[in-house]
Amino acid sequence: MHYFISLILEPLKEMSVKFLHFAPNLLAMLIIILIGIIAAKIVRFVLLRLLKAINFDAWSDRMGLTAAMRKGEVWAKPSAVVGAFAFWLLIIIVLMAGLGALQAQPIDNLISQFVLYLPRVISAALIVVFGYIATSFIGRAILISAVNRGFHFSKLLAEAVRLLLVVLFVAMALEQLQVAPGIVVAAFSILFGGIVFALAIAFGVGGIEAAKKIIEHENEKKAEDKRDIEHI
Amino acid sequence: MGGITTRKDINEQLERIETADIVVGIPSFNNARTIGQVVRAVQAGLAKYFPNHKAVLVDSDGGSTDGTVEVVRNTVIEDFQSILVPHRVEPVLKMAVPYHGIPGKGSAFRTVFEIARALNAKACAVVDSDLRSITPEWVELLIKPVLYEGFDYTAPLYHRHKFDGTITNSIIYPLTRALYGRRVRQPIGGDFGFSGKLAEFYLSKDVWQTDVARYGIDIWMTTEAIANGFKVSQAFLGAKIHDPKDPGSDLSAMLYQVVGSAFNLMETYHAAWKTVHGSEPVPTFGFQYEVGLEEVNVDVGRMLRLFREGIKNLRELWVSVIGKGDFSELEAHAGRSDDEFCFSPALWTRIVYDYALAYHRKQLPPEHLLKSLTPLYLGRTASFVMEFRDRDQSKAEAEIENLCAEFEGNKEYLTTNWK
Repeated sequence: MHYFISLILEPLKEMSVKFLHFAPNLLAMLIIILIGIIAAKIVRFVLLRLLKAINFDAWSDRMGLTAAMRKGEVWAKPSAVVGAFAFWLLIIIVLMAGLGALQAQPIDNLISQFVLYLPRVISAALIVVFGYIATSFIGRAILISAVNRGFHFSKLLAEAVRLLLVVLFVAMALEQLQVAPGIVVAAFSILFGGIVFALAIAFGVGGIEAAKKIIEHENEKKAEDKRDIEHI
Repeated sequence: MGGITTRKDINEQLERIETADIVVGIPSFNNARTIGQVVRAVQAGLAKYFPNHKAVLVDSDGGSTDGTVEVVRNTVIEDFQSILVPHRVEPVLKMAVPYHGIPGKGSAFRTVFEIARALNAKACAVVDSDLRSITPEWVELLIKPVLYEGFDYTAPLYHRHKFDGTITNSIIYPLTRALYGRRVRQPIGGDFGFSGKLAEFYLSKDVWQTDVARYGIDIWMTTEAIANGFKVSQAFLGAKIHDPKDPGSDLSAMLYQVVGSAFNLMETYHAAWKTVHGSEPVPTFGFQYEVGLEEVNVDVGRMLRLFREGIKNLRELWVSVIGKGDFSELEAHAGRSDDEFCFSPALWTRIVYDYALAYHRKQLPPEHLLKSLTPLYLGRTASFVMEFRDRDQSKAEAEIENLCAEFEGNKEYLTTNWK
């Protein structure tokens, strides 16, 4: 009977010893997560104030970021999106740190892999955001400039440049994330080179007449003896 | 950064001169062909109308390589009898100074202001170096209102061909007049008279790294003078004829700098213009007479082509600035044949005000916003040219008055939406 009772109690005792050994780690994890959540909320609050002070939403409107978000059915303010992004990034980091306090080997391995990969994710996200702003800005500048010069295919030209830039920035982001880097570089080289080559042929062959007209027009203008309108 | 007057060689010249009653500035850059005539006219004007005043002529040069500075140094009037002046009591002193800062007319003017301040000048004038129609009387008309009549600023008033100065006629004059309530007909004329006090005021402003240092200087000078309550007048100078501008000069860059400066000043002087209703004339000096004007070549077909390219390619951008209603109206006009094309003053007024509001709200990067105005401006200009091609100058001037009335009448739209 005594043997039977010890058979029942022994595992329970062992479990309680293990739990007592594990409890501080669990408590540490809960405290880290709790403090982390509070810290993340404070960071979000401060960040939102800062973004409001520097008129980030107005800047996003100008740069076309807000329009891009609306196209993706994101209706929150750009500053709120940045605040939420920072908040959840901190929560993930805090969760990882909390899980680390459990000192379990598989979780430790996972965390170290995640920590090593995190900078790549952040830099890829920054490349995508910067790329979007730069692509919109340069595309619009080319469109306006081409229209003001009377170029007949202004929109096509602006879209072509936009496409080239999108390809460039997506390849850069994928390269950062190390998603099949060999294939990405090869695909980028083929695609980018192909587009540039195609454009060179298109402009070279298709532009002969246009170039001829421009030169003829310039010569005609020089031959005119009357002066041009003065705008100022 | 220290001013030009801190430079050793300039400082030595200024110390030798000590003070001056009048400073006349000529901004130049590769104008060897025309600047001799301008210097002669200024010297003759000073000799004839201000013989007892100590005067300094300043060539503020942007690094000319065609001998402009040498022409200025070597140009003298040898025969004063020919301009009916027996002798000049005070000699006209000359300084050829390379200006500093951003290359442009504004930086050249800044150097003139600095020299005027250093010499404690009572009255100053600036005239363009590419003028072919300048006479000695221009100096008298720009300086006398300041020196003898107590004015601080004299803007020019010219007779120009009905199709010249279209940025002035269709945007800057109506806008300035409606905003600040003063009828200065050539607010960006380029040749001005001003007091030493106003030159010092200009120097107190920190604008020399902006477009004011380029084409924006003229509208900036005029607006600052009006908005800050300086006494403003205008003087009739006759015809304005100058060397043809570089055909490669970019219209959209010009629009960006001039209109951008005007819109920037709207931000600065919102309190000054928001309560102004209507407008009043400014005192005008000089005997007004008719002058013969050179014919102007206007390529309306190209203007309309660019306007239609805008309609086709800039739809999204324009709709975001001027709204769907006005864009549909533009689209309807663009769809008509060239002969039936019409761009009304009312529509143009709304568009300019919408652009001012979009600029104020920072809806787009300023350069993109203002350069996208170019095809619209060309559409309006083409419509004006077609309507007044066979009509005389006075009818064209009446249409500009009509446009000004539109700007004044619709100002409430601007003030109520300016938040």
